[in-house]
Amino acid sequence: MQFSQGVRMAWKSIIANKLRTLLTMLGIVIGVASVITLVAMGNGTRQQVKEQMAGLGTNLLSVNISGRGAVSSLTVEEAEQLGKLDGVKDVSPVISGNVQAKYKTKNVNVTVEGITPSYEGVRNVHIQRGRYITGIDVAYRQKVALIGTGTAGELFGTADPVGAAISLNGNHYKIVGLLEQQGTSLGGSNDDKIMVPISAGSRLLQTKGVRSVYLQAEDDANMDSIELALEGELTRKFRGNTSGYNIFNQADLVETISSVSATLSNTLAGIASISLLVGGIGIMNIMLVSVTERTREIGIRKSIGARRRDILLQFLLEALVISGLSGIVGVLVSYGAAYFLTRSGTLAVMTWDTIALSFIFSFAIGITFGIFPANKASRLRPVDALRYD
Amino acid sequence: MSRHAEIELKDIVKTYHMGAETLTTLKKVSLRVYRGEFMAIVGPSGSGKSTLMNIIGCLDTPSEGQYIIDGQDASRMSDNQLARVRNEKIGFIFQSFHLLSQLSAFENVELPLVYRGMPAKQRREIASGMLAQMGLADKQNHKPRQLSGGQQQRVAIARALASQPSILLADEPTGALDTKTGKEVMGIFQQLHRQGHTIILITHDPGVAEAAESVIRITDGIITEERRGNHAIQPGSPDGLEEHYRQ
Ligand SMILES: Nc1ncnc2c1ncn2[C@@H]1O[C@H](COP(=O)(O)OP(=O)(O)O)[C@@H](O)[C@H]1O
Ligand SMILES: [Mg+2]
Repeated sequence: MQFSQGVRMAWKSIIANKLRTLLTMLGIVIGVASVITLVAMGNGTRQQVKEQMAGLGTNLLSVNISGRGAVSSLTVEEAEQLGKLDGVKDVSPVISGNVQAKYKTKNVNVTVEGITPSYEGVRNVHIQRGRYITGIDVAYRQKVALIGTGTAGELFGTADPVGAAISLNGNHYKIVGLLEQQGTSLGGSNDDKIMVPISAGSRLLQTKGVRSVYLQAEDDANMDSIELALEGELTRKFRGNTSGYNIFNQADLVETISSVSATLSNTLAGIASISLLVGGIGIMNIMLVSVTERTREIGIRKSIGARRRDILLQFLLEALVISGLSGIVGVLVSYGAAYFLTRSGTLAVMTWDTIALSFIFSFAIGITFGIFPANKASRLRPVDALRYD
Repeated sequence: MSRHAEIELKDIVKTYHMGAETLTTLKKVSLRVYRGEFMAIVGPSGSGKSTLMNIIGCLDTPSEGQYIIDGQDASRMSDNQLARVRNEKIGFIFQSFHLLSQLSAFENVELPLVYRGMPAKQRREIASGMLAQMGLADKQNHKPRQLSGGQQQRVAIARALASQPSILLADEPTGALDTKTGKEVMGIFQQLHRQGHTIILITHDPGVAEAAESVIRITDGIITEERRGNHAIQPGSPDGLEEHYRQ
């Protein structure tokens, strides 16, 4: 018997038992669809996290300085020196603290960051209107400020803050730019702040020590060597007081979060694949019932010359067609699910390897659980099979 | 007339084991069937006729003895070789038709050729031709349950003939049919006999047996009467059948 004839034969008997076929398929469809969808959701989460973090820059090293006093702190000039380390493209020292901001009758407590112009490139924080803080502002200690959208809303409502004068701890500052909306990150809202030239900020906050230094690498491949050099430089400067500072690698964080979400989605997919297994047992069950029900059919086929391998092929192909169809339907269902999930805000990203894998898996289940009933059918002796009713 | 023994059974024994009990349904049966012979097998129910027929048709294997078909020892054949014999040399016709219910008349008839690996075009020609010969040209796409008993049996005969076997085996082919259609079906067998097929047929109907060339009577697993052509050979005691022939 030819293979194509076998497929046609299998298809005929599947069509002849539509309801039973559908019920059998259901188990595999649910299994395949849930495995693919869960993995897609995991992929989506990972991608979202990556995009968010990439916005912050994966080629970014940040140093937080917690120490106080002459030895355990870093002046703006010392911080700028760190920019001369090998492989560092740019450096952005930041002084920060809290002040009382006042506009007309409105009064809020807000974070102030004293920055240099390089902040824009290094931190990827831009303005939507007005102008940025310039080198001249820093050099002449200009009392100008950039305002975050959150703080602007609190102080100015819907009015335009650019050009207005506010008071920070009693000092008059002119707002020259409105920052782009940043949204919230792990650290809380990034929109509730005011930024001033680092020289002015140093006087306003009455501190000489920088709070953080951001280093932008030329290439995110040599992050480790930069981190090592930075570590050496700071240890030297802090005279071994390593608790006075804290180096933070953005890429490490991305890695950690990615691997956590990958583990999570793989675990879920693993649980879902149990339902594939159960679906496979369902196929075996149905095929076994089918062999019993069709004993006479097997006898008839054998009596007119079907060989063992013809019967084996027929039943195996039936199992394969059922599992293959279920695989296709499962993939389609998961496409639908991914579409609706993404539309409703949960990003789900289908990848070809997941689709191929669950498809192969459902075929493998078809073979594994189809072979036992098929073999049983093929071994029946024609007389015994014909006698059966 | 020189005749060639197409089928030769030598001391065939068939024993069933049911727990501690053993049941011997064929007790050293020896038989020759010649090419082109039309043989009827008669005997009371449970005497072992079907058991013998199944062995001849390679659907079953004997417990002891030798079975030679067309010069080849069937008792030494592999599963695949037996399937080939069933496919090419033997056409089996059953009392309950044994058609596949999901398949159309045409698909039922072409099935032996499918298993032979014949291309579709050739299959179509043969299967359509056989159905037409059986007077079922317009019933090709009917499912078995849409056909009458007589029509179903004609489909089954067309299927048995499709593979152009030299031997036709029929186990009570008219048993499930009324007298009139039974007669029609018997007419077909007689015609096939004239075309040169070797036919072995089990029947309860003395009228049917009369139409045959030779008659074998089985009682309790033993051949008790063997009548060849016009010359009756009687290994056992006669029991009135002969009288029937003389009518
Ligand atoms: N598979 C089997 N297991 C046990 N006994 C069987 C089996 N097949 C047939 N028999 C017994 O063998 C005897 C002969 O049966 P069978 O050849 O069908 O008789 P017939 O066709 O002459 O009516 C019966 O007694 C029947 O019960
Ligand atoms: Mg019988």
